[in-house]
Amino acid sequence: MNISKIANLKFFYTRTKNITFFLSVFSFVLFSVGIFWGLFIAPEDYLQGNSYRIIYMHVPAAWLSLQTYIFMAVTGFIALVWKVKIMEIASIQSAPIGALFTIIALVTGMIWGKPTWGTYWVWDARLTSELILLFLYIGVIALYASFKDKRQAVKITSLLAIIGLINIPIIHYSVEWWNTLHQGPTVTKFEKPSAHISMLMPLLYMFFVFNIYFLTVIIKRIRLGIYLREKNSKWMEEYRND
Amino acid sequence: MLKIIIQKELSIYFRNLNSIFLPLVLFFLIISIFPLVLGPEKKLLEKIIPGIIWITTILTTLMSSNNFFKDDFNNGIIEIYLTSDASVELVFFFKIIACWIFTCLPIIIFIPLLSILFDIPFNSAFVIFITLFIGTPILISIGIFGSALTIGLSKNNILAPIIILPFYIPVLIFSASAIDSVSIGLSYEMQIYILLAFLVFILPIMPYLLKYTLRFSINN
Amino acid sequence: MEISVNSATCYKNNVAIFNNINLSLKNGDVALISGANGSGKTTLIKSISGIQNLESGAILLNNIDISHRDSDFVENIIYIGHKNSLNSDMTVHENLVYLMALDSSSKIKDNSRIEKAMNYFDIQKYKDYFVSDLSEGNKKKTSLARLIISDKKIWILDEPLSNLDNFSIEIFIKLIVENQKNNGISILSSHYDISKKISNVKHLEM
Repeated sequence: MNISKIANLKFFYTRTKNITFFLSVFSFVLFSVGIFWGLFIAPEDYLQGNSYRIIYMHVPAAWLSLQTYIFMAVTGFIALVWKVKIMEIASIQSAPIGALFTIIALVTGMIWGKPTWGTYWVWDARLTSELILLFLYIGVIALYASFKDKRQAVKITSLLAIIGLINIPIIHYSVEWWNTLHQGPTVTKFEKPSAHISMLMPLLYMFFVFNIYFLTVIIKRIRLGIYLREKNSKWMEEYRND
Repeated sequence: MLKIIIQKELSIYFRNLNSIFLPLVLFFLIISIFPLVLGPEKKLLEKIIPGIIWITTILTTLMSSNNFFKDDFNNGIIEIYLTSDASVELVFFFKIIACWIFTCLPIIIFIPLLSILFDIPFNSAFVIFITLFIGTPILISIGIFGSALTIGLSKNNILAPIIILPFYIPVLIFSASAIDSVSIGLSYEMQIYILLAFLVFILPIMPYLLKYTLRFSINN
Repeated sequence: MEISVNSATCYKNNVAIFNNINLSLKNGDVALISGANGSGKTTLIKSISGIQNLESGAILLNNIDISHRDSDFVENIIYIGHKNSLNSDMTVHENLVYLMALDSSSKIKDNSRIEKAMNYFDIQKYKDYFVSDLSEGNKKKTSLARLIISDKKIWILDEPLSNLDNFSIEIFIKLIVENQKNNGISILSSHYDISKKISNVKHLEM
């Protein structure tokens, strides 16, 4: 059983080398198309003008920030329950990507906020939840960073990610509830600027592109994780010498 | 067995009476700094005192739960917990309760005094009392989970609070809103029930979670 | 009753602490684990008792893997680490009462076992001393007293002889021999060569 697990890491590491290159090029092309589509082809919003176009970055990033957390927790769960090493690596390596998506969502949200609300930051439910999500990611990353023994650290961060996933809906709904208490329904909804199909299509497309990007980066990061973990092992030396 | 475990947890706190008084003193010290910083205007203080009480409570619980397992870790009793075939979950449960009794209960008991100092109306003081009574065991449990996560680290003073503070948010939101509601004459039962639900959910799970966490985190 | 270590490998900080360790013990066996400082004695002992996670391999008790300690099959094992596992704010007697409470195999749970254990290790006179006031040797003896209080058969002891005087070492070795006669299994790490005094010691040099 043990041998098959190590072989699994080896299998993944040796087989994905070419895939990552292909995926990088692919996601770059897809991304360029999406940006062009969103910025130039999609029609102008009759209320918000051109400023709405930032949702083509903001909304997919916000979705992916949550999706990555789910990915981190689910892979962490598999790692803890079935003791699959590659899942341990996948779980912790997805944390910085998720944090990046969260930061993108926050920054684009702030940029969108200036023309819309007249200020970069309002304590609206979505932005606040996103900020808390960032803190959750930072917690996981900081916990991992402070352990010397990374093999133990991934087990603990996996556990934290799972607990965090249980908490995210609770946090999200309580923040939303808090927001309705204090602000009332005057704030314009962020996500649906009159969902015309010609505006929605690029959004869905960008969501797809972000997913491809995530896939590219996570495979690269898992390879990095495998390398860091197995750099002293025989097969890694043999592979790198070839 | 139960009697011995409860006795032990209580006697350890009783032998270090500092552990009861210092959190309480810290609590009052922080609270009394606020008027000095914000000015003694009655209107302003009236509006923000519930928030101040809750933030101060968080600080106090964070500090007292942060080193919860430190002694047990240093003298090796954690290893006994993990290798014992007795139900260690029960031990953890009473440890949590004991920690709450000696760090949070004194604060809660002194809320009436606080309400005199800041001239809080009886209704609000009562709700503050109730929310603290239900909320602090949750905060303590989560804080102890944080200390279990970081037990193997030598420098974990700031890390645990960073990890667990986001988990405090729902408790804070509902507590603050209950206090807010009563001060403007609305009903606050729903928030109390939600807090109760959190408590009923978290308290039985926590001992199991602690045992599971410690198994990984003591090795570093 | 049989406990065995099957090709156990353990990593810390990406470095192998030990690699492919095998050990098999049956009723009446005594295993001595020795080696230089940092050779992984403590880690191996911790792995056998289920505190340290293995990278690969297994610890089998009667052919059931106990290396993750998530089962109830471990009730026959007692582990005493090189930390004494004593609460320094409590007296010797209180500590022993508490440790007995944490141990479900000592079902009798009366004070006579504690008295017996304290008499055996000659710490009766320190009964009401706080542990923080004891000498290191007496702390060690107090923690070893658990062996007599519980009636477990598999003893896993990390450096049980450290800080003990010669007389206490003799007493302790007698205890191991007694466990051997009772068909128990003892696993201990030490620099001290006990094989002169106990017959049939399995020696594992790390």
